[in-house]
Parts: sequence; C-alpha cells; structure tokens
Amino acid sequence: MTHLKLSNISKEYSGTIVVQDFNLDVEQGEFISFLGPSGCGKTTTLRMVAGFETPTTGTITINGEDITNNAPNQRNVGMIFQAYALFPNMTVAQNIGFGLRIRKESETVIKDRVAEMLSLIHLENKANSYPYQLSGGQQQRVALARALANQPQVLLLDEPLSALDAKIRVQLRSEIRAIQKKMGITAIFVTHDQEEALSISDRIVVMYEGRMEQVGTPFEIYNFPTTRFVANFVGSLNTADAEVVDPATGLVSMNGIHFESAEGTKDRQKGDKVKIAIRPERFSFASEQRKANVVDSTIENITFLGSVVRIQVKIGNTKFNMDTFNNPFLELPKIGSMEQVTCSREAVLVLDE
Amino acid sequence: MKRSGVIWSWFWMILGILYFFLPLLATFLFSLRAELGHLGFKAYTNVFSDPQFQIKFPASILWAVLTIIVAIVLFVPTAYWVRLKVPQARSAVELITLLPFVIPAIVYVFGLVRTFSQPPLLIVNSPGLLIAGYTVLSMPYMYRAIDTGLRAIDVRTLTEAAQSLGAGWGTILFRVIFPNIRVSILSGAFLSFAIVMGEYTLAQYLAKPAFAPYIALLIQNKAYEPAAATIISFALIWACMGIIQLIGGGEQGQVTGGH
Repeated sequence: MTHLKLSNISKEYSGTIVVQDFNLDVEQGEFISFLGPSGCGKTTTLRMVAGFETPTTGTITINGEDITNNAPNQRNVGMIFQAYALFPNMTVAQNIGFGLRIRKESETVIKDRVAEMLSLIHLENKANSYPYQLSGGQQQRVALARALANQPQVLLLDEPLSALDAKIRVQLRSEIRAIQKKMGITAIFVTHDQEEALSISDRIVVMYEGRMEQVGTPFEIYNFPTTRFVANFVGSLNTADAEVVDPATGLVSMNGIHFESAEGTKDRQKGDKVKIAIRPERFSFASEQRKANVVDSTIENITFLGSVVRIQVKIGNTKFNMDTFNNPFLELPKIGSMEQVTCSREAVLVLDE
Repeated sequence: MKRSGVIWSWFWMILGILYFFLPLLATFLFSLRAELGHLGFKAYTNVFSDPQFQIKFPASILWAVLTIIVAIVLFVPTAYWVRLKVPQARSAVELITLLPFVIPAIVYVFGLVRTFSQPPLLIVNSPGLLIAGYTVLSMPYMYRAIDTGLRAIDVRTLTEAAQSLGAGWGTILFRVIFPNIRVSILSGAFLSFAIVMGEYTLAQYLAKPAFAPYIALLIQNKAYEPAAATIISFALIWACMGIIQLIGGGEQGQVTGGH
C-alpha cells in the first residue's frame, strides 16, 4: 500500500521552475534516495514533503491524508539536517525528548523513550552532554534519535552525512539503514553522492533540472540507465558517437568499428546517430572463446586506484577506460602495446545522441 | 613590530587613559571634599539621603527595566522574523535601528510632544510614552545585540528542526531561540539600562522623574553632590558593563562551540 504519495508536484520561484511534474509512490518502510547534482530540485522536493515549502501545483498525501497545506509542525514528519540542528542549549537527553515534551507526554514516557533512543544510537553515556561536547558523527546520531523519538510517519534526511569525514559517513549510513529497517519507517534520503545512494536505498530517484530522470532499484539505475544523464551521473561511463547499422541485431558502428548491443536499437532506424555507452568494468581483455564485440586497442595509460586498476585504451580514435580488480599477481600489459578488448552485448548501452 | 612602534602604541594608550580617567579622578576627589578639612563620603551620604534622589533614582531603574522588557518583546521576534523570513530587508531594518544616532534626542522629544499632546492620541503625560521613547533610543544597542546573537546560531535550521518536531512559533521563540541568544539579550539589556539611567532629554521634556535630570538639578544648586551623583552614575554603568563581560565571557564557548 502506498504510504507517501507525491502527485504532479511542481515548484516555481518567481517564474523559475525548480521542480516539475514529480510523481512518486513510496511504500511503507521503503528507503528512497533522491540523487542528483546541486540545483536539481531534490532538496526542494524533500522540503515540500516536510512542509517548509508549498508546492505550486500537486498534492502530497501520507496514508491517504492530504498534507499538502499542513504546517510543518502538523505533519509528524521527522527531519535530519546536514548541519545536525541540535539545540545548543539542551543536553542530548533534552534534545531527544524535545518533541515528546511538545506532545505533552508524561515524564515517565519521555524518560523511557529517551533511554530507548539513546540505546538505539549507542550513546547511553552521553545523555547529559551538550551538543558542543560531541563529535559530528555523534551529533548526527543524536539528531536521528531525536527525529525518531516522535515516531514520525516519514523520516526525511537532507544530506545528513555530507559534513562528516569519509570513514564516519560509511559507518553512519549503515547505522541509519539498520535503524530504519529495524523500525520499519519510511525514509527519504537526499544526496548527491551516488555511492551513498546506491549502497543504502531500496529505490533511487535520479533528478536533473527539476525532473525525475529515472526511478529504480540501485541495480537498475546502475546497470540499465534509461537516459544519458543517468548513465553519465551514476558511475563512470565511456561514451562515443556511433551510428545504427542494423536495428534488428543491435549492430552499431563507431567510425567503422562495430559493436553489438543487446537492446536499444529496436526503435531506431538504420543510419540514426546515437551514443554508445560502456561502463569501464564491463571491458576485459579478449579471450579466444569470445567472438562478439572483440576490438583491437592500444594501451594508452595504466592508473593504480587501490582495489581497482584503470587501464586507458584507444579503440580507433576514441579513448575508453577499462577497470579491472587489482590483485598482486595481475599481469598488466605494457603501455603502447596492442591488445584485444571485449565486452558483452548487454554492456553496450545505446542512448540518444 | 618595531620597538618605536611599541613605544608609540603605549604612548597613545596612556594618553587615552589619562584623557578619560583624569577628569573622573578629579571629579571623584572633588566629591570627597564636602567636609572642610578632610576627605570623606559626606556628599554621597547627602545624595543617598536626599528624598528627591530616593524618588528619582528608583524611578529611573523602573523606566530602565520596563524599557528592557518592551525592547525584548519587540526586538527579539522582529530580528528573528527578519532573519528567517525577510532577510532581504535586513539592511533597511539595520538602517532604521541606527536612526536614534542621527536624530538628536531634542528633535525626537519635541516630535513626540507635538504628536501625542493632541487627539486622537493624547498620551503625552503617560509613562508609556516615556518608555516608548526610551525603547526607540535603546534600539541601536538592543536590536543589534540581538541580531548579532541570532547571527551566531543557525536560525533557519534550528527553527525547521523544532517545527519538524511539532513546535509552534511560541515554543520555538521561548525554548529554542531565546535561550540560545540569552547572552546577547543580556548584553543589549545592560546597555539599554545604562542608556536609560543616563538619559536626560526625554525625561526632562516629558516631565517624568528620572536620575539624569536630578543630577542636572543638583548641579544648579549644590557643589559636591553633583560630583558624587556623577560617580554613582558611572559606577552603575560600569557595573552593568562588568556583568555583560562576566556573562558574555562565560557563555561564549558554549554557544559557539555547538557549531
């Protein structure tokens, strides 16, 4: 059953459209990420769900109740901010109990709930600390506990990990996901970090220039991008100009070098100008068994990236990146040598030019 | 810094201190000479036992306290609202808050008298008009102190965080904003207190009992007592400044440390 529903949402500021025709159904307990570059409208959309912005058109419903025009304090929607937003004058326990006090819960209920939340975020010993006495990661965990203490219908997270260092980010995003699953709460997570979105979400909404570009599971978004923007934005991608040779078999030509694509040419005509896109990790050095998509290349450069080695190859006049997992026994080709590289038909994405 | 630079810095600083403190010291020493032949606090005793002082000094304290209350009630929500909802109006509001610096008090008080000594608002004799006048005069200190306090906290995010937890505007103001700008409010309050205690023109022309007109009256009739009253006035203002420093110094780390 749809828990949160955004229907035909748009937002306009003085004639500038920042969100347009946004439609999304979110199931109870689902974790959705809004992913996109700065200015794509993801935070604006989140703020409309929170009630801090009013949509120019469209409706927002939670459990079937229209909350489009409800004030933010009448929505029971929890929000976590990038800047933590803990109240500096209150202790950790007071921060967590703030929403419950507003609801006029009894002191016993507040005390029990605060203890439960402190246990959930593993900060039992920090109940009487002030926010300035905590690290960034601890502050954000307190913010999470504070938002969850009210048992909100939807949890909104506005780039909550952006201000933290890399190691804490990875740790905290796992904690957030685990807590969200444990509590079965519906969550919307705004981020511009694709790795974050891919690792944490049930579904991702990729946004660009105020529009939804694609909605899908992380697997779908990464492996089967439907637009050029999604293909480019999520993960690394090699792209090259090409021309459709045989729409039925998926044959395309890149300056005379042929690639076969599993799909993407069916609705096109012979001679159509397209872009082919191939992820670096889908390339490999050709073995003798492989017949399709085997092309000659020259090794241009080799870069060591830790767990991955990136090899730049030149196919025809176009440079492609090829990623291979690092291992101590990896035999790398010499720079300048000729090698045959290959990729599967499914790896070749055909996109509009 | 070169040695000559250091010497000049000290020279100008000492000169400044002398310029400020010598007249004060002279006034203080003069105030001790009320009794012929030896130094003593006779002038101070005279001032404290004067029935006029006993009426006008507490009256000024009352005006100051009322002014501070009105100023807080008016300026905290205004500064908060401007920061939150109409940040583009900040420069205009700041300009307005500085007007008491450029409009002489005498011009202002005659404006008040002319406007409010005739219907429909015949309130020239009301203490409310005096408080309103003092509130305007305290605006540059009070408003700016509050605005500075608001600048030190993330007003928008704290407000939105409180709203998302179910808080209404009253709760946000009293439980989130006020406590986090308490030091700034106190600074503004003590500055306003000092201003009201030393303000002459408004009280004199609105014919209300106050400390500054009392000192002016003393000067016309007595020799040593005005000096004593001046020193009392200075002591009071310095006590206010000292309290501001004390509170401000102790709280600074806690408020800024959260960010």
